[in-house]
Amino acid sequence: MISINNVSKIYKTNNKEFKALQEVSLNIKKNTIHGIIGESGAGKSTLIRLINGLEDYQDGTVDVFEYKNIIKLNMESSRMLKKRIGMIYQSFNLLERKTVLENVLMPISINGKVKPKDLQKAKNLINLVGLSEYINKYPNYLSGGQKQRVGIARSLINDPEILLCDEPTSALDPTTIKSVLDLLKDIKSKFNITVVIVTHDMYVIKEICDYVTVMENGKIIENGYVEDVFYHPVKTTTKSLLSSIGLNYELIVNNNKHIKNKYILFFDKSILNSSIITEVSMKFKTSINILYASITPNEKGVMVVQIPKNIEDIRHSLMKSGVVVENV
Amino acid sequence: MFSDLELDLFLKALYETVYMSFIATIFVCFFGLLLGIFLYLTSENGMLKNKYAYLSLSFFTSLGRSIPFLILIVLLIPFTRLILGTILGPSAALPALIIGATPFYGRIVELSLHEKGKELVETGLSFGANTFNIVLKILIPESLPSLIRGLTVTTITIISYTSIAGAIGAGGLGNLAYLYGYARNKIEITIIATFLIVILIIFVQLIGDITSKKLSKK
Ligand SMILES: Nc1ncnc2c1ncn2[C@@H]1O[C@H](COP(=O)(O)OP(=O)(O)OP(=O)(O)O)[C@@H](O)[C@H]1O
Ligand SMILES: [Mg+2]
Repeated sequence: MISINNVSKIYKTNNKEFKALQEVSLNIKKNTIHGIIGESGAGKSTLIRLINGLEDYQDGTVDVFEYKNIIKLNMESSRMLKKRIGMIYQSFNLLERKTVLENVLMPISINGKVKPKDLQKAKNLINLVGLSEYINKYPNYLSGGQKQRVGIARSLINDPEILLCDEPTSALDPTTIKSVLDLLKDIKSKFNITVVIVTHDMYVIKEICDYVTVMENGKIIENGYVEDVFYHPVKTTTKSLLSSIGLNYELIVNNNKHIKNKYILFFDKSILNSSIITEVSMKFKTSINILYASITPNEKGVMVVQIPKNIEDIRHSLMKSGVVVENV
Repeated sequence: MFSDLELDLFLKALYETVYMSFIATIFVCFFGLLLGIFLYLTSENGMLKNKYAYLSLSFFTSLGRSIPFLILIVLLIPFTRLILGTILGPSAALPALIIGATPFYGRIVELSLHEKGKELVETGLSFGANTFNIVLKILIPESLPSLIRGLTVTTITIISYTSIAGAIGAGGLGNLAYLYGYARNKIEITIIATFLIVILIIFVQLIGDITSKKLSKK
């Protein structure tokens, strides 16, 4: 659906050149929530803005939908492309002198006449994001979370197939973050949209993303299923980002070097409710020492345990119950 | 306190000052807006970024702002005579007022548009809108309170310019203050004329403040 191939982007300011993207390649699959994470200045915004043609690039190609190398599109095709992509921002970017309704209609009214069916659609969307009471209010009257909801309603007015989110929750408090993320998740499944979300917060990735791309200094340093990256991070940057949400079982492993016979266990969603550990413990009369336990975004479980004795039997038994066991 | 003749003089002078300021403000609003929009669009962060266009526009804007108003009037005498046939009276002051204040307002417009320009333009572009529609339907409406504040400052500058113009023959309150107070030694007339100018300026400021506050939807 979105395919970025070997793209490099150079910013030129006062004779100085700055490589914001260096030979970046990335595929984003239809109907997924794809997170892009990295420290400030890593090039995340630059990358996401490639997708709807807000950013040009020097090398490589960006293909979106059926359009190849979107930088070469003529004005009309470029407009068609943008209509099929919605966008929301960290600072909401609402028009202060327009009401909620007028803001939501803006993508239509700026390019032509608003038809009665557009008006109805706008009202439905405002309803969907839970702001029907505020339809004729001005943005300054709203809280941050409410403003972002207006942004979300506005981004949906043209029935987009892709929704780009550049740090949509960075200006919000924790409770509001959760509710905005839940809304995005709902919208994704309701409208079958592909969501690309830029953030510097692992929590956002953990909450809603299927895939994650980690960026550093204009390069992609890690990319894959959230599960895989979370439990087998390779790069130091990824690991330090993960430890910010407590997902640092490597740290646990390293800090408990003196403890022998440590194993990492991965549980599938289907077996999460059964008391496998207890059963195995009782069966082999061995107390299994749990050093770390957590649950992943897709509701898989992960544990770091110490097995003092009967190791082979216990391993076998666990694996038979569907648990993935890794030695560390 | 004053004779009927003098009262007539005040009314006539007040009318002339208001006339000059009002007409000049209308033209300056139009030309200054155009100038400011082009300065903004061609600037470093503008949608029609063009170094040479910006530098030359910017050069003339700065030039226009740095010529003292009195000298501008003198420099424009041939031009004024050519288009109006005279260099006396309130209308004759208009070319100098307009040419003097347009660069002033142009810069204010440029700054106003830059305030939230980056975000707003990006938002407009993501809707697939063209430059014209982004300026007309997003940038200008959103910057309106700030544009009105700038226009208030500009109008006040124009009013003080009319006093300078008045002193060299354009009529108005400035002329009255100068002619009677300085040349004929009737200081009370100067004081009253000054007072009227101050009232006029306060009035303009008030209208400007109220309008921009009403428009800002805060
Ligand atoms: N218009 C520009 N001109 C010059 N340099 C720029 C420009 N825009 C971005 N950069 C530089 O490119 C790099 C990447 O910027 P980008 O905005 O993509 O980072 P980011 O990962 O989104 O960071 P943040 O988390 O702070 O938003 C930064 O170092 C930034 O300074
Ligand atoms: Mg950014």
